[in-house]
Amino acid sequence: MKLRNRVIPGKIAVDMTPMIDVVFQLLIFFMCTLKVIEPEGDFDISMPLGAPSASSVTEAELPPFKVRMESDGAGQLQALFFNGTNLGGGDQAFSRLNSEVFRAITALQAIGKEQQEKQEVEIDPDYNLHYRYIINAIGSCSGRLGPNGIPVRYISRIKFAPRREP
Amino acid sequence: MKIKPTNAAIPEIDMTPMIDIVFQLITFFMVINNFDQNEADERVSLPRDQLAKPPAVQRKDAFVMNFGFERDVKGRMLSETPFLFFGDEKLTLEQVRPRLRQESQFYTAIGTKLEDVTVEVRADADIQSGMIQELIQMCQEKGIEFQRFALKATQKSVP
Repeated sequence: MKLRNRVIPGKIAVDMTPMIDVVFQLLIFFMCTLKVIEPEGDFDISMPLGAPSASSVTEAELPPFKVRMESDGAGQLQALFFNGTNLGGGDQAFSRLNSEVFRAITALQAIGKEQQEKQEVEIDPDYNLHYRYIINAIGSCSGRLGPNGIPVRYISRIKFAPRREP
Repeated sequence: MKIKPTNAAIPEIDMTPMIDIVFQLITFFMVINNFDQNEADERVSLPRDQLAKPPAVQRKDAFVMNFGFERDVKGRMLSETPFLFFGDEKLTLEQVRPRLRQESQFYTAIGTKLEDVTVEVRADADIQSGMIQELIQMCQEKGIEFQRFALKATQKSVP
């Protein structure tokens, strides 16, 4: 059978201009709306209900670890106490708090693993203490970063004590 | 002198590499654009902590409260009074109660249980702690009754 020679069609010229226009518009839009935001995390927290005198109802069998934070007049941390023990002030106080919580947790593990999960920390700051110290204290009680950047959790139940008056 | 007319053809430019790069750029900007944190207010300078990890599962019902100071472009505080920012609206701690009641009624109206709603507090590092406690207590009052709270912090990079 004789095949007819195929006709090779000529290259169709596509006008790329509108597409490039739209693509550039998109590019400019994404460049302008770009917001460089640092990754945010959070800590769950609970707060006793009602009047300051009311105590919160919890499942914990043992009393909560008490973290008392005293501030100076300017709202800076003056002294940090863990279950009544003075851990001093400044950034060092938080690493000491972290070690103290670890020690207390290790002691709890002797009683039972589930007790560690039930254990609470009660944070009791002065009214005018800057909030950054609260986050530092919560972080120190929550755990520490392991050698490969994986967090080792100590206590996940954190609550505020009733508010102190200014 | 007779000038010979030049009959130069319009050179055809190959657009393919440029389009490739432009598409790559668009894809890059789309991917790194964080659409999740649209409720984050830039005026709030969050505290930092290395254990502040983003939640593994995105919360379905979260009510974000930005509590910070008015700041200038250099980040200096313009006034000592902190405000709760809801878009363009700014309220003091004393003024926020009706707004909280409104939010609580909204969740009830859409059939969401208030115990499933997490109040995410994005508070400035320099705010007094007592004010945060006051805000949380306000959220628990009768008629508002939010129950779950989360305190936001920026993830501090480990040196």
